[in-house]
Amino acid sequence: MSLHIRTPEDEVKSFQDRYKFIYLTIGLTFLLFTARLWYLQIYKGSEFRYYSEKNVVKFQKLMAPRGRFLDRNGFTLVDNHPGFEATITPQFVEDLDKTAEKLSNLLNLSKTEIISKVKTSARREGRYRPVRIKENLNRDEVARVERIRLDYPGVDINMFIKRTYSQGEIGAQLLGYTGEISKQQLPKLNKGLPKKDRFRQGDILGRNGLEKTFDKELRGEDGLDLVQVDARGRIAMIQEQDILSSLPRKQDPVPGNNIVLTIDKDLQSAAAEAMAAKDYIGAMIAIDPNNGEILTWVNEPSFDPNNFSTGISKELWSKLTNDPFKPLRNKVVQDHYPPGSTFKAIVALAALEEKVIKPSTKIFCPGHIRFGRKVYHCWRRGGHGEVNLTQAIEQSCNVYFYKLGSQLGIDTMAKYAKALGIGQKTGIQVENEISGLMPTEKWKEDNFGEPWQPGENLSNAIGQGFVLTTPIQLVLAYSGIGMEGPIYKPHIIKKILSPEEEVIYEAEKEVLHDPSDEEKAEVHISSSSYKTVKMGLYKVANGEKGTAKWYKIPNIKFAGKTGTVQNFSLSSDQVYEKCEERPKKQRHHGWFVAYAPYDKPKIAVAILAEHACAGSKAAPVVRDLMWAYFKKYHPEMLEEKKENTNLSSLE
Amino acid sequence: MQLNLKNLLKRFDINFTLLILAITVIGLINVYSATYNSEQDSLSRTFIAQSIWLLAGWLIFLVMSFIDYKFLQKIAMPFWLLNIVMLVLIFFKGKKIYGATRWLDLGFFNYQPSETAKIAIILLLATHLQKKDALQGLGFKDLITPFLFAIPPFLLIVKQPDLGTGMMLLAITVSMVLFMKIKKGPLITAIAAVVIALPVAWSFALKPYQKERVMTFLDPSRDPRGSGYNSIQSKIAVGSGESFGKGFLKGTQAQFDFLPERHTDFIFSVLSEEHGFTGAILLLFLFLVLFVLCLRIASNARDKFGTLLVIGFSSYIFWHMFVNVGMVIGLLPIVGVPLPLVSYGGTGMLSIMFGLGVISSVSYRRYLF
Repeated sequence: MSLHIRTPEDEVKSFQDRYKFIYLTIGLTFLLFTARLWYLQIYKGSEFRYYSEKNVVKFQKLMAPRGRFLDRNGFTLVDNHPGFEATITPQFVEDLDKTAEKLSNLLNLSKTEIISKVKTSARREGRYRPVRIKENLNRDEVARVERIRLDYPGVDINMFIKRTYSQGEIGAQLLGYTGEISKQQLPKLNKGLPKKDRFRQGDILGRNGLEKTFDKELRGEDGLDLVQVDARGRIAMIQEQDILSSLPRKQDPVPGNNIVLTIDKDLQSAAAEAMAAKDYIGAMIAIDPNNGEILTWVNEPSFDPNNFSTGISKELWSKLTNDPFKPLRNKVVQDHYPPGSTFKAIVALAALEEKVIKPSTKIFCPGHIRFGRKVYHCWRRGGHGEVNLTQAIEQSCNVYFYKLGSQLGIDTMAKYAKALGIGQKTGIQVENEISGLMPTEKWKEDNFGEPWQPGENLSNAIGQGFVLTTPIQLVLAYSGIGMEGPIYKPHIIKKILSPEEEVIYEAEKEVLHDPSDEEKAEVHISSSSYKTVKMGLYKVANGEKGTAKWYKIPNIKFAGKTGTVQNFSLSSDQVYEKCEERPKKQRHHGWFVAYAPYDKPKIAVAILAEHACAGSKAAPVVRDLMWAYFKKYHPEMLEEKKENTNLSSLE
Repeated sequence: MQLNLKNLLKRFDINFTLLILAITVIGLINVYSATYNSEQDSLSRTFIAQSIWLLAGWLIFLVMSFIDYKFLQKIAMPFWLLNIVMLVLIFFKGKKIYGATRWLDLGFFNYQPSETAKIAIILLLATHLQKKDALQGLGFKDLITPFLFAIPPFLLIVKQPDLGTGMMLLAITVSMVLFMKIKKGPLITAIAAVVIALPVAWSFALKPYQKERVMTFLDPSRDPRGSGYNSIQSKIAVGSGESFGKGFLKGTQAQFDFLPERHTDFIFSVLSEEHGFTGAILLLFLFLVLFVLCLRIASNARDKFGTLLVIGFSSYIFWHMFVNVGMVIGLLPIVGVPLPLVSYGGTGMLSIMFGLGVISSVSYRRYLF
């Protein structure tokens, strides 16, 4: 064999033997494709044509039942109920005008409204999408629509599942509400989601409150079924399926998980009723100080989440959003207010720990105090005379705490307040929680560019300066005082159960702050300081001069503190002598924070009653709730006759 | 080279060009129909975008036709490296659409590096393989380098995740290597290795969700929302076209939202429904002629590099067409692969017109007898 140099041409020719394989591959491919097309289009063509014109296969979504919310005793708070709705599918309508007229007669609706509804939805959501004309049809209406359905193509009756809130307005801001996803919202919701988690138009989504926060747990997985529908979109009888033999299997829906809450449905009602009886606006929360479980959570005024389940009307929505008392707001966590005199218990703890005073230290209250160029008033014009610490708490003497405030300074007060959780989010699994505010000298410098004024120590010591707290923060701080140390992380979810009732998650108690723990706590508060302050709080409800002494529960003594928030700055000579005579918006807010029993608390409650004029006015509402609690959970304690209250535990 | 019009027309492959024109016009007509909305007077944005891509594609085609393809050897490696960088960049700066990160946002359009990765591998393999002896075939050692080129982009693309495009990349690589011929020994070893490796990879390397995906690939009814439904609707659409179709814009399956992705992956079912067996066969016939012309250009090329380029780009177009049409007419499982020159898509259109431009350039510099 002789070597020869191959030209590029030779080299190209060296590929020659491959081409026949390639031609063969391509030829066979085209033969196969042609045969298949012939089979589908010519041999089976008329059959497929029939399917495409007369019958089509469509998906039917089998909606997964959304998980339920249960109260701590297993009572169903939120459930799903089936209902019937009349729909029009624009794609199949032959004469919209006639169809709308017929339906408006049958269902007592306005014809023009039906037409505009159908047209808007066809434009926005697509013509193939059924438009809901009327929901919650009664039997009669179902029968009437059923009769005309075949004569008016596009009209249909659908079964749908409605989210139902058994407690209506009570706790609505906590539970939230659901709504359907519209076409416009889809792209935003699906951004970045993997395919299997993507939402589809018409899916139900938790829009607010726990419905939103725990949407993933509640939602479950929708199932699917392929059904044959006729050219008008109506479900047809399944006929022979030879050419559709590869029809996919039916997929059953997987229901969502059920969520057991820590709240009690009866206490919810008791709280809401007590507030409604006084026509109070505001927030009330009750917790178990021994583990942080939230027992009650109500806001007033409220709204009915059932109205959202099938799409809220524009009128109702604007009414809710324009209401000056904000029914949609979850005031328990979403609004903060100055704590007023309820802050005094915290200042008292600080003063005792910092040895500014002894429990027995007496201060004379003449009704006012002069500081710098200003005069600071006590709420009682004539003054309280000579009072010690527990008496000062009992009677809510401002002058006593003005003095403590000026001696402690804001930074020291802030140190103790923060140790009790003031000015920080509690981390509850409820959305929109705000942090409130606990000011310091540096905070003012940073935010106002001005130094802290010594006079501001006085106003902040009685909770009227910059300090802001949410109702949930105050109830926690007081539960910590009642427990003489530990504050447990508040929680609303007790358990999450699978549809088969298996426990998927169970809450455990967790210490959030514990100033009594000498080793771990940064700021330590001794047992004796707690006991002194608790004695003062006991006297508020039980002492002769206590600001909340009129309200009692048989055989159970509670302790607490009133607070009044000057909501409107008034000139010193007070335009209106009596708060009640002012327009509602200008009246003071009232706080009452309490726990019971006074020595070893089982329940702690905070209420903020907007425009109630005084904290003492809020106290009976709290008393009513506590009473309801003991009636349900510790009825024996209400009966026990105690000869003498054993106060030694606080001495 | 002296450029005069007569010479230019003599060398420029007019038949080839007219064929591509015919296919792209058919594509445009069907994108128009697929995105047509009877309640809207103006042209759909998708249609306008596709028209612009097509014009840009033709520009690239003409430019590539008149440039000597020789320079592609020089840029093959840098282009491949740049593409790897782009694929890596996606993990940091990629634009996520429907859970997969495949696009880089270049401001005026979303660039899909996995499409240009196919070009990169063709250029690099052609550059590399032209040095090998085509009579003897490739030995075992010769097989290593081509797969070293293919594996990095393959892994990066599969990770996006985009298994379909990744498989296309492998199909192109295998086609080009097979075209070079493999010696008997290595060929048998390679086949045996794949047969052994598959079950091992199945039980160890794949995660459960990946297995699920492969299972769905083999049995579409496992995923009824996606593949099964699409497959049935597509078959009904194609079949109901019968001999001559329902007519332009008259396809009920396509016009009433029964067919998903009808302007991209299912464009062939729109054509088959509206223009029937006649229309479908006409398009397939045009593709058939296109491949025959490509093979003729390959066998008449000036050098091995030219031949390999033509084979590479032809296999690119062929495998896309094969998988797409196969899935639309219910012969293959549903995979998201577009129909070349017909489906809507920017990067894909430009890539294919680039490839056809290179083939045209090879044809321009063929031996004239």
